[in-house]
Amino acid sequence: MMKYLLAAGMLCALGTNAALAHITLETQEATVGSTYKAVLRVPHGCEGKATTAVRVQIPEGVIAVKPMPKPGWTLQTKKGKYEKSYQLYGETLTTGVKEVDWSGGNLPDEFYDEFVFRASLAADLPAGQMLYFPVVQECGDATDRWIEIPAAGQDEDAVETPAPGIKLLPKK
Amino acid sequence: MNAAQSSSTIRPHTGPLAWLAAVLVAMAVLAMPGRAFAHAALVATDPADGTVLTQSPAQFSLTFSEPVSPLVLTLVRPDGSQLALTSFRLKDQTVEIDNPETLKSGTHVLSWRVVSVDGHPVAGSALFSIGAPSAAPVAGEAVDWTLRAAIWAARLLLYAGLFLGVGGAFALAWLAEDRRCGQRFVAAALLLGLVGAPLSLGLQGLDGLGAPLARFAAPTVWKTALETSYVWTVLIGLIALGLALLSLAGPSGLRKLSASAALLGVGGALAASGHASAAEPQWLTRPLVFLHGAAIAFWAGSLAPLGLALRREPAEAKVFLRRFSRAILPVVIALAASGTVLAIIQVEQPAALINTSYGRLLLLKLALLLFLFTLAAVNRWTLTAPAEAGDTEVQRRLVRSIGIEVAIVLAIFGVAAGWRFTPPPRALAIAAARPVSIHIHTLKAMADLSITPGHAGEVAASMVIMTGDFGPLDAKEVTLVLSKPDSGIEPIKRPATKPGDGTWRVDNLLIPIPGRWNARLDILVSDFDLVKVEAPIEIRGE
Repeated sequence: MMKYLLAAGMLCALGTNAALAHITLETQEATVGSTYKAVLRVPHGCEGKATTAVRVQIPEGVIAVKPMPKPGWTLQTKKGKYEKSYQLYGETLTTGVKEVDWSGGNLPDEFYDEFVFRASLAADLPAGQMLYFPVVQECGDATDRWIEIPAAGQDEDAVETPAPGIKLLPKK
Repeated sequence: MNAAQSSSTIRPHTGPLAWLAAVLVAMAVLAMPGRAFAHAALVATDPADGTVLTQSPAQFSLTFSEPVSPLVLTLVRPDGSQLALTSFRLKDQTVEIDNPETLKSGTHVLSWRVVSVDGHPVAGSALFSIGAPSAAPVAGEAVDWTLRAAIWAARLLLYAGLFLGVGGAFALAWLAEDRRCGQRFVAAALLLGLVGAPLSLGLQGLDGLGAPLARFAAPTVWKTALETSYVWTVLIGLIALGLALLSLAGPSGLRKLSASAALLGVGGALAASGHASAAEPQWLTRPLVFLHGAAIAFWAGSLAPLGLALRREPAEAKVFLRRFSRAILPVVIALAASGTVLAIIQVEQPAALINTSYGRLLLLKLALLLFLFTLAAVNRWTLTAPAEAGDTEVQRRLVRSIGIEVAIVLAIFGVAAGWRFTPPPRALAIAAARPVSIHIHTLKAMADLSITPGHAGEVAASMVIMTGDFGPLDAKEVTLVLSKPDSGIEPIKRPATKPGDGTWRVDNLLIPIPGRWNARLDILVSDFDLVKVEAPIEIRGE
């Protein structure tokens, strides 16, 4: 019995490890039309090298983005035009943050860290579908790109370097 | 090519033939711009490559980037047996193919060969499985023996016309006192040549497209044939045949002139295309082929009229025999010398005489030639003098011997026509180094990948990347991933470099085994945008 438990435990551990190899979001579900706190989990560097920058692309429909500053890292945002205008608390938004960069830091491969931003999910985002936040992880001259979005119908495990994503839930 | 010139200089004598020549040239010129069009590319197959289906599909479909016309559609069953798919419909850019049988479980290969609007054949295959995948069936390269036999026979007819016909007309014009003997034989050979020439052109088109004999009359077949260099051989050959007919039947003042021009035409026709004329150095090989062809025509063409003249009118034939025996020695020397040099160029290494089919045909031809030379030498040095002196017994022996010579000459033509199917060792060496290329087309991006040489071992890959609508795509990074899931080899992943000429390259790439690999290009369009395109690529054995 003990042996089976051990085996099962090891399987679990291995399974989790596989998932941990990617950059992922802590909360993997969110309701459309709500505020979402995104916590990007960075489990390791790029092939052993220390992470020096994390850049995340904000997909269309994710508005009013506010990143959380991080000691030891330079925080920058790139702003641009949205593809359409959004209503938020009676205001019309047409431009906003399209990319968030934390750079100039040093996160050794053997340590773990999190990068946080807060955003509003537009009410007209398609509930039931996935929404992806492509992330580029830089480690000095090495780069890991977590930017692959599975094609419609493709298994998420089939892509090598998946972009972190969340499942959109319908408005309650 | 000087065919256009010669067709205009001979127009006064030839009439309809010159018109035919002009029409053929005009068609060839009209067909040229077609090459500038893009070739058809496969957009989608149903079932898609690599799909596993639960049950046998009722039909297959192939969608291309432009309308196509199918040439050969084959389904290879898991056991390697082939099924010709003959029932299909064209619907815009899609070919819908009926599946005539319920497929058993295992991996099938849908193999297709189509021709696009520009007349360029495009071929490929898609693998799919019923139930579960099995080892991919190996489709042996099917040889269309009917087509081969037809090509060979047409080639033999053309040779008979050019060598026996034109050569015979030349012998009658220049060597024979009384040209009545053998005239019918020569005229028959010329007519065979006139039949063989257009036939072999059409068959060349069929062969170029890999299409079956049934499509002989299809316009694309002829269009393809007109784009090959073989059209010049046929064109010049037809002119030579016409001139020889003119020499036989035309005004006596033109006999010698047109027969000479026809003999030169034989050399020109042979030099215009074929393995030997294509070899480097061209300044040497083309004149040698010309010389070789003209010499064959002179020798082989003289034999039948000479033999017939000796048999029927021995007294008058003496002058013929004397002229022939005086001229033949330098002709045979030229024939042997040009043949030897060409053989050395083509075979390259003595070992290739035995281990390539081209070499074996050459050995066979040499054996026949040895026999022929022995007979000819006996005729020349022991029989000719008494025969000229009027010894009737010797004359009869000479006639018999000449008859055998003609038979051997025909056998040699048969062997030479067989070379049509055996690339010379020189060309085999070039073919081994030939790259293998694929074109991958998706909505987001398209890529041309070519691997040089296209066989297993150390190779280099070159890639050209464009957007899905042929626009420039300035990628940040390109990675080539080669995988062979059925062999248990880990994917080979190599970043490509940009040498600055608009291409991406991967050098010093080692492909361990031949077979069907999956080539994937990971194209980083921008920081956050990665496009992956992939397609199978066939790597040859070394």
